[in-house]
Amino acid sequence: MSKPCPLSQQYQAPKEGGPAIELVGVGKLFAGRDVPALDGVDLSVPHGTIYGILGPNGAGKTTLMSILGGLLKPTYGTARIDGHDIAKGRAAIRRVIGMVPQEPAVYPTLTVRENLDYFGRMQGLSGPHLQNRIRACLDLAEMGDYADRRVDQLSGGYRRRLNMVIGLIHEPRILILDEPTVAIDPHSRSLIHQRLRELHASGITILISTHYMEEAEQLCQHIAIIHHGKVMVQGRVPDLLAMQRDKSIQMQFENDPPPDLAARLRTLPGLAEVHVMGRCVRIAAEHPDTLMPTLLTELQARGLGLRSLSFGNSSLAQVFLALTGSTGAPK
Amino acid sequence: MMATLMATLAKFGASIAKEARILGRDRQALILFFSMPVVFVLILSLSLRDAFGDRPGATFPVLVVAQDRGEVGQSITQTFRANPHVRLALSHDASEAQARQWLMDGHYRFVVLIPAGATDQAKRRLGEVLAGVPPELRLEAPVAIRVLADPALRADYRKVLESSIDLVLHGVEMRLGRAQVEETLRVTQGDHFMPLPDLESARLFREVQGETVTRQGRGQTPSSVQQNAPAWTLLAMFFLTVPLSVSFIKEREQGSLFRLQTMNVPAWVVLGGKAVPFFAINQIQMVSVLAVSVYVLPLLGGDRLDLGNAPLALALMGASASLAAIGFGIAVAMYARTTEQAAGFSSAMVMIMGALGGILVPKAVMPPLMQDLANLSPLSWGLDGFLDVFVRGGGIADVLPEAMALLAFSAFCHGVGILRYQGRI
Repeated sequence: MSKPCPLSQQYQAPKEGGPAIELVGVGKLFAGRDVPALDGVDLSVPHGTIYGILGPNGAGKTTLMSILGGLLKPTYGTARIDGHDIAKGRAAIRRVIGMVPQEPAVYPTLTVRENLDYFGRMQGLSGPHLQNRIRACLDLAEMGDYADRRVDQLSGGYRRRLNMVIGLIHEPRILILDEPTVAIDPHSRSLIHQRLRELHASGITILISTHYMEEAEQLCQHIAIIHHGKVMVQGRVPDLLAMQRDKSIQMQFENDPPPDLAARLRTLPGLAEVHVMGRCVRIAAEHPDTLMPTLLTELQARGLGLRSLSFGNSSLAQVFLALTGSTGAPK
Repeated sequence: MMATLMATLAKFGASIAKEARILGRDRQALILFFSMPVVFVLILSLSLRDAFGDRPGATFPVLVVAQDRGEVGQSITQTFRANPHVRLALSHDASEAQARQWLMDGHYRFVVLIPAGATDQAKRRLGEVLAGVPPELRLEAPVAIRVLADPALRADYRKVLESSIDLVLHGVEMRLGRAQVEETLRVTQGDHFMPLPDLESARLFREVQGETVTRQGRGQTPSSVQQNAPAWTLLAMFFLTVPLSVSFIKEREQGSLFRLQTMNVPAWVVLGGKAVPFFAINQIQMVSVLAVSVYVLPLLGGDRLDLGNAPLALALMGASASLAAIGFGIAVAMYARTTEQAAGFSSAMVMIMGALGGILVPKAVMPPLMQDLANLSPLSWGLDGFLDVFVRGGGIADVLPEAMALLAFSAFCHGVGILRYQGRI
């Protein structure tokens, strides 16, 4: 039961030609460090997509976001946002982007409305238009009842909602969010996801960094996996998942299987390995889909009742692990 | 062009309003900002009232033990009674041991012991002198008037008191000598002897009187309040660099400063928006200190602050000192990484600049080298400017060098702050 997105139609005119965000060989080496925080990052974010930057803590996501937001200058490489070079067209870029920092960047002793009003004015809004935008943002964050409450009296979830809608106060064409759902309650996370989908539907390009695999998988059409400052892979989510399709079959029986089940199954053609753990059985096969009919016939013949069966599952976590061999995988 | 300017000014106004709101909600801090300089000025002006200028009232207690009730005892007692800096206690029968004990117990700071028969002894000694008895054959020794002093009594005060006793005794010598000579003449010439001229009343020299030199001939020396009011106003102004720099660091830590950097908001709008409310606080600090010094301090027994005749010069000094302080705070904020760093560094620097600049210790009591070093401190420039108006009767033209120095310091600090904010240095 989502509310209609209270945004105007300004988003509907993405600039023609070229991606919304494009990075070519961008690197960042901080003074006193030997290893670059970003190392030759190439990225292309199409207009109108939700694009996820996925990586564990310390991968370089925030550095990347800070470069796009103009807070850091890249040591090398070039980047363009909405066709403007970040080195030269910063003023134009600031008009089209909305930044949502990782931590709630708000004034704790001001009220929710005062924060929206101040940042709205800093974005050049005024008069009735500003008041309309404040109302729209309050609706978007479902914070109308909290408008006149000081931010330091709000929960972390509400602060993050406010943090997000401040980035939308001036109706940006491109929204850049740095881990907007870290340490947040499930309701607020769900609301933020819902609003991002609505914003996407209204035409906004969204670049979101996260270390939550499930969040990226559910929300994004495109994903770049970043690790140790390098983009390991980027592409459409289905394409990435296909890279690491699971080649195992998991089964759970109603009752304990007979002791000779493993030996019997190993005789089936195309089956590589069988592990039996109580009522659970895991089978490894080169082509699980072609093995399935033979396997089911065999189980039926032995009168074994199945409680569950699955095969072919894959996740971004598996993709990430396969690409990086990292033990510090995102969640 | 005009539209862009108006839009930027609107952002500037919003920044000022935001900062004023944030400051206004920190009531405890506001109370501290305004009460600190006022309380300091009240306490120090009253405490140090007598350490400045020539106003009477250094009322430290002095005991005169006049066992002699003749002219010597009376003359010395009369002298101390007339001294406005002395709270006189008189005893005719206290012993030296008792007087020492009272001194050690802190009841008196200075004790004068006039032995019994001092006047008679002096007369006998005079008789021997006038009779031409050679010094080695004289029976009477010179009269010993002794003084006991609290070690805590300032040496210059003690010297002044001792000198005043010597002066009295010279007068006594002259009067006794004249009386003795007249008595001799009366004996030898009868009642129709030629009286001696009254040399004591025929002053050959006018009484020495110091004159202070001012630009407009205003013959006034600085009083305690004239030193303390501007000194503590300046220190309070510069102490505002602590909350100013801390508030910047907090905004950086909260991320709101970074958020502003992702928007089309000029650095001067962000920095100026913060500076203006602090400037206003500085001006209110100055006005409240001056008002208390003029209207409240006299009610408590202190001196009334003489504001001079140049309100514009005062306003110029207040504004330029505040801008210097704010610039310093912004520069500190742009380089400090944590609130602890900002608060620690700025408060330490302000105390050092205050000590160096004649705020904590007046420059007048500093040795020449320290007085030269004092000129390095912006607080010294500010204090000199205020004293130009309060004490030397100066106007706008007279405070211009100090004001320009403060404004140059402010411009330098603001420039450093803006360049640092923009990431250029």
